[in-house]
Amino acid sequence: MKNIDQHNVNQKKEFETVGSISSSKDVVMSVKDCNVFYGENQALKNINLEVGKSEVIALIGPSGCGKSTFLRCLNRLNDTIDSCRVTGEFSLEGEDIYSGDMDVVLLRARVGMVFQKPNPFPKSIYENVAYGPKIHGITSSKRELDELVDLSLDRAGLLEEVKDRIHSPGTSLSGGQQQRLCIARAIAIKPDVILMDEPCSALDPIATEKIEGLINELKENYAIVMVTHSMSQAARVSQRAAYFHLGDLIEVGDTKKIFEDPEHELTKNYIHGRTG
Amino acid sequence: MFGFLFIIILLFCLAIFFIAKRHAINIKKQNGFLHSLPKYYGFYASLWFSIPTLCIVLLYSLFAESFVTSNLVNSLPENIKNLSDNELTLVLNNIKNFAVGNISDSSSFASIQQAADFYNAQYDLIHSVVLYSSLILGLLTFIYAYRSITATYRARNFIENAIYLLFFSSALVAIFVTAGILLSVLFEALRFFEVINFSDFLFGLSWSPQMAIREGQVGSSGLFGAMPLFAGTILISLIALLLAVPIGLLTAIYLSEYADTKVRAITKPILEILSGIPTVVYGFFAVVTVAPFIRHVGSLVGLDIASESALGVGLVMGIMIIPLVSSLSDDVISSVPQSLREGSYGLGATKSETIKKVILPAALPGIIGGILLAASRAIGETMIVVMAAGLSAKLSFNPIDAVTTVTVQIVTLLTGDQEFDSPKTLAAFALGLTLFVFTLFLNFIALKIVRKYREQYE
Amino acid sequence: MNKSSITEIVNKNLKTRYKKEARFQRYGQFSIFVAIIFLVIFFTSIISKGYTAFNQAEIRLNVNLDYEYIDPDRTGNIEEIRYGDFDGIVYEAFYKLFPKVKSRADKRELRELLSSGAGIKIQRLVIEDISLIGSQIDLWLPLDDEVDMLLKGNIDVDLPESSRRISDSQINFIKQLQEQKIIENKFNTTLFTSGDSRESEQAGILGALVGSALMLSITFMIAFPLGVAAAIYLEEFAPKNRFIDFIEVNINNLAAVPSIIYGLLGLAVFINYLGMPRSAPLVGGLVLALMTFPVVIIASRASLQSVPPSIRDAALGVGASKIQTIFDHILPLALPGILTGSIIGMARALGESAPLIMIGMVAFVVDIPSSPLDSSAALPVQVYLWADSPERGFVEKTSAAIMVLLTFLLLMNSLAIWLRNKYEIKW
Repeated sequence: MKNIDQHNVNQKKEFETVGSISSSKDVVMSVKDCNVFYGENQALKNINLEVGKSEVIALIGPSGCGKSTFLRCLNRLNDTIDSCRVTGEFSLEGEDIYSGDMDVVLLRARVGMVFQKPNPFPKSIYENVAYGPKIHGITSSKRELDELVDLSLDRAGLLEEVKDRIHSPGTSLSGGQQQRLCIARAIAIKPDVILMDEPCSALDPIATEKIEGLINELKENYAIVMVTHSMSQAARVSQRAAYFHLGDLIEVGDTKKIFEDPEHELTKNYIHGRTG
Repeated sequence: MFGFLFIIILLFCLAIFFIAKRHAINIKKQNGFLHSLPKYYGFYASLWFSIPTLCIVLLYSLFAESFVTSNLVNSLPENIKNLSDNELTLVLNNIKNFAVGNISDSSSFASIQQAADFYNAQYDLIHSVVLYSSLILGLLTFIYAYRSITATYRARNFIENAIYLLFFSSALVAIFVTAGILLSVLFEALRFFEVINFSDFLFGLSWSPQMAIREGQVGSSGLFGAMPLFAGTILISLIALLLAVPIGLLTAIYLSEYADTKVRAITKPILEILSGIPTVVYGFFAVVTVAPFIRHVGSLVGLDIASESALGVGLVMGIMIIPLVSSLSDDVISSVPQSLREGSYGLGATKSETIKKVILPAALPGIIGGILLAASRAIGETMIVVMAAGLSAKLSFNPIDAVTTVTVQIVTLLTGDQEFDSPKTLAAFALGLTLFVFTLFLNFIALKIVRKYREQYE
Repeated sequence: MNKSSITEIVNKNLKTRYKKEARFQRYGQFSIFVAIIFLVIFFTSIISKGYTAFNQAEIRLNVNLDYEYIDPDRTGNIEEIRYGDFDGIVYEAFYKLFPKVKSRADKRELRELLSSGAGIKIQRLVIEDISLIGSQIDLWLPLDDEVDMLLKGNIDVDLPESSRRISDSQINFIKQLQEQKIIENKFNTTLFTSGDSRESEQAGILGALVGSALMLSITFMIAFPLGVAAAIYLEEFAPKNRFIDFIEVNINNLAAVPSIIYGLLGLAVFINYLGMPRSAPLVGGLVLALMTFPVVIIASRASLQSVPPSIRDAALGVGASKIQTIFDHILPLALPGILTGSIIGMARALGESAPLIMIGMVAFVVDIPSSPLDSSAALPVQVYLWADSPERGFVEKTSAAIMVLLTFLLLMNSLAIWLRNKYEIKW
């Protein structure tokens, strides 16, 4: 099995332009020759990918294939892991993400993130959303901050449900509400890109449906990079999809094409449930 | 005698073990079946032998001395019997010393030899009674056990139940110890409160426990107002906490959030060494190094600092509890889930913003619990204050004054020779009760908070 | 508010935020630095005061073990010899070094330079080997602690004569002896071979060491089995109910009760109620056992918890009874952890002095205890007693005793760490 995989991976080299997108779309973020090492182990090999404005791009692939690692490179969250080393060119609107000039605080303000498990701070709903604007000093008055919090909660589709208990703890919400709170928290600082790491994996189908609807609305204003385990979710919300396999980016393309007519054998096997 | 008895009982147990085991093996040979392994039957029989014998030995060790002593007192001449308690104790000690062969003052009364012989004879009698009665009783129970051994007898279950009982009673000891502490301290304290009013003790403003030895002695009124002691204890503990909490907490934060493995590898052992130093050593350090240093610094800026100042004691005590605060905070901080840190970093917060605005608020209950435990340790700390704090009770909150503490007074009241029943001695138990109740309260609250906090993130 | 303006705002604030970040980090570094400095000051203070105590000024004297002093009636009986005038022998040999000194006052000043331990040293030698009587031998004999302090530079000779405990003429005598090169700093064996004494040059820690050893053995024999048994019950058998909760609350509280309270318990129960002897290692060991018991339980429970449930299932699955499972499988796996925790608890007990003071172990005891019922000192209490002694000589003795105590604590902790590293199993 391993030999077959290796063979298939080699076959990939024919598509050198993998990951680029048509010039008609504006590129927000681009990654060239990304390699990631954990100590001695290489977790990602030569990844090339571009993210366009107002699109949802889904990263799919079997578990342990490096999707989440890749996602965490985009806002340099891997910096917090001592043994992790990242090489390659990453740019956000033309600026090098990993250069010395790029400030990691500013970067993370521009690249928001939503995590697999909802992780609201043990503070009130209001404080959770106000946290980002406060630390960055975005608003200048209490009234402005209140408006921003309301607006963000509204965009995240949560305002109606919580407006009369906005000062109760964020942890008192249901799982789906918590995840939407985390999305509200991320969009309160108006990022360019939102990274989502399996945002629905800990939620029930109804909450998932709500989040998916929200993602559909959000893509009007933000570029969204989303890791997902659910093939059907990728098909429902993403415009493009990228298939990762054992640290390699095998294939990128329009979601419809990936699902209906993948070019690569490995992708085909995964889509049809033969691996993963 | 004790050792001799134990060896005898042990030898008997060993012999019985093998006899019963052999018996069980024979039964197995005859029947071709035995419920448990033969060794269990051995244990079973020796258990039956040893329990009654050990009970008798226990009774002996608890009551023999008082029984013999009361007999001895009755045998003494009338003039000695009528001596005061103290003098009688002295005479009795003389007799006992004489009896065991320690040459002692034989002039106290003429017939000391006779009394000592009586004492020895009494003990000889008791020893033989204990030896024979325990052996006879033990052998009787052994015979009962031996006869109950059959092929279907469940010896293993019996032994296992016995072991279970042993485990269970060991766990019960914890309750007995708490009850023992509470009762022993409470009884003596209640006797104290028969003499001294409870509210006078708790809220009285002056403390001078010297009781008049002669009638009408000046300055020995025996005042038992504990307020100055409470104030001194709190002052010193506060100084200690003011040093230990920021340093301990910041150390814990730095170690768990910033430090690389190298710094951690150096700092952790240092903290462990600090926490392992006996408090008596800290006390010596306070007396010979810290107090003179503080006095010197004070004289440089024109302050007259007492050589037993609360400041010096508090600082050394603070050093002592730094490791406690730091390790408790470390536990609490590292149990804050990583996802909260990532959530904050993901929004672009710096490390210190994350710590101050997310991690510390989340860890706050646990940290408060840790500080309460540290406070309880500081309040109950004895050796540092006994060696380096003052003796005279002064109601003062000035850190450069010499103040005294509850524990210092307990030690002063109970060392040196005095009668056990004087209010002065009993006062120590009243102070002990206060200390116990207060620290128990602090510990209880602290442990409850910490436990609740842990459950929140598990 | 659009996106690019947010970028600008964030950028504008960045500098101050990073300053705060750096400042916060410096606070942390400063705290660690303070902790390290404390430890350095602590050890320098103790070691610089204490290392001199391992040496003691001695003088080489040619003593004449004359029958007239030791056994004038030539009985050859040890009991007679024991009461010989050994000090006289020392003084005679000492006076010979100063032929010019005649007056009684000067002779008294000379005598003060010698330790009273000198005569005792000769007495021991003679009792060991009676054939020495009548011979003339060279011996190294201890000098008084004031001389010792002077030679170690702890007495300021520039002070007026009245404010030091050694006179000008005595200093002069010592200078003469130094010129003859018969005074030397020898290794202080007395420190390790004798009990307490009022004279600092004769004081040793052997009594305290033996007392502490007796106490710790009793503590271990009681606290270890009891604590492990209780831990096994709580981990393996205890149902979840209020009563068990109550026991657990009790144990956790007991571990945090101030040690002096255990001393009060010992005084009230063991000494006043049960009439056990004061100052005895037996009582001390019992009190320390009660104190260490909850520590052993907590350590043992943690260790038992770390044995995975699959081991229990496996043993029960082949038909072992619960007790067999515990004794054959769980206990052997948990034992290294239990021992590690218990040794650390024992180390704490070794350093504990407050409860021992309560049960009367502050008594002045010269003899080395030979049973747990004898009066005895303990190492930390010895430190406390010596720290309270006004003589200069005791300051260095205290520091030396502390160094010995810390060495033992270090050894116990190293043993615990070694055990943990050697036998620890990562599941």
